[in-house]
Amino acid sequence: MAGLDDVFGDLFASVDAVVLFSPSGSYYEQFMEIEDLDVIVVGTENAVGAETFVELPLEFGNISERIRYGLEGALEQGVIEDGDELACATSVFSDGIDTVSRVRADAETRTGIYDLFVKSRADPEVVKSVLEVAIELGKKGQKGKPVGALFVVGDAGKVMNKSRPLSYNPFEKSHVHVGDPIVNVMLKEFSRLDGAFIISDAGKIVSAYRYLEPSAEGVDIPKGLGARHMAGGAITRDTNAIAIVLSESDGLVRAFKAGELILEVDPEAY
Amino acid sequence: MVAWQSLLNEPAVIAAAVLALGLVVGYLVGRLNEELLSASGVPEAVEGTPFERTAQSIGTSTVEIVARLSSWFIYGIAVLTAIHIAQLLDTDAFWLRVTEFVPQLFIAVLVLILGFIVADKTELIVSEYLRGVKLPEVSVIPKVVKYSVLYVTFIIALGQVGVHVLALLILLTVYAVGIVIVGTVAFKDFLVSSAAGIYLLLNQPYGIGDEIRIGDQTGIVQEVDLFVTKIEDDSEEYIVPNRKVFEDGIVRMRD
Repeated sequence: MAGLDDVFGDLFASVDAVVLFSPSGSYYEQFMEIEDLDVIVVGTENAVGAETFVELPLEFGNISERIRYGLEGALEQGVIEDGDELACATSVFSDGIDTVSRVRADAETRTGIYDLFVKSRADPEVVKSVLEVAIELGKKGQKGKPVGALFVVGDAGKVMNKSRPLSYNPFEKSHVHVGDPIVNVMLKEFSRLDGAFIISDAGKIVSAYRYLEPSAEGVDIPKGLGARHMAGGAITRDTNAIAIVLSESDGLVRAFKAGELILEVDPEAY
Repeated sequence: MVAWQSLLNEPAVIAAAVLALGLVVGYLVGRLNEELLSASGVPEAVEGTPFERTAQSIGTSTVEIVARLSSWFIYGIAVLTAIHIAQLLDTDAFWLRVTEFVPQLFIAVLVLILGFIVADKTELIVSEYLRGVKLPEVSVIPKVVKYSVLYVTFIIALGQVGVHVLALLILLTVYAVGIVIVGTVAFKDFLVSSAAGIYLLLNQPYGIGDEIRIGDQTGIVQEVDLFVTKIEDDSEEYIVPNRKVFEDGIVRMRD
């Protein structure tokens, strides 16, 4: 099979580092035995105890997204540099790693998704949990019907002062945090209420039923999105919060920060 | 028939019977113990502890050791009983001491094994818990916990076999009192703050989004947890211990 090695060898010849996406323990150790090789592990959790690890907020279904966000996180953490040639090994069809692609790290096309998680006011865990709730809600809907929802995460004090209640707050004097086991069901039930959910930096659900009153001046979000997205996008411009919006009409989950659309995912793909 | 009778009365025969019975019962108890321990999830619980690893390296396991121990305990009793019945030794004085001593020794060994496992396990748990704290000095804490547990174990085991442990006990008391005193001094503020925090969380005199003043700091409440309240104005973020909230009182701002 020397012939094949010659041809495919170009894929991993003289790469600066190897990026493994969610490798298994034994697979990772095989790489560690190779000398003079930088190995970077990317995944939703550091299951193999790797030294250089980049956390992915979600197990992206789409390969190019997975690699792009993984590399963006690695760039952001400074484990790779702009222009590095990387061999990215990931899985497409099976559970194990079955695909290698050669990618050049590019600092220009950053989307800011990494910032969304790590450099937000809210804890990364909280952002992750809210995003998961939104995706799950988008996938299943409420009792089979598509629902929309708007979560404003972080900087809750300011957000509360830039919004008003539409009705009594069901979370008043409660101590419910996102990520608690029962919360997903609760949020699903409450998602039929109008208005936004407000979640604090530490993940406490402060309120539901909020009508956001930011000034929408200078908000640059794609045309065609509805009032919910506009409200969500605008509040992130006025405060340091981020907004995670589930669209009722097209079922996509979008995340806004500083008035800009940063992430757009299709719940069906997860 | 008579020969049969006299044979039964022969002490050596009874002794042999007792011995055989002891061996069977000992073996059965050992097996039963092994099954019970395995079924109750002991192998999973002790997995990864150095004791288990040492046991593995000499080709056995914790469960096996404990099970063997119970077997050997019964074998020992059987052998002693047999010796007594066969009257091989003039045993009365000896017998009295041994019957007292063997169960104690058994319990002492059991306590030691248990102590080693618990010590290793607590070390693992504590170091796992502290893994987030990336400070080299922190690795001392799991060791301290481990040796504290071992120390208590040794005292119990030695007490079992009748060694005088008063001096060791005094040392332990001094150590425990020291920890308690250091703990209360070090965590005094935390205790007071958390007591205040419980009130704040239960009664919520202010909530996220309210504008309040605590002492000199005025701002919008961003977060209330057990120990601190975070308030924020336009340029500054204050993290106020809940203790201070009670000392200074809360002013709610009305616009």
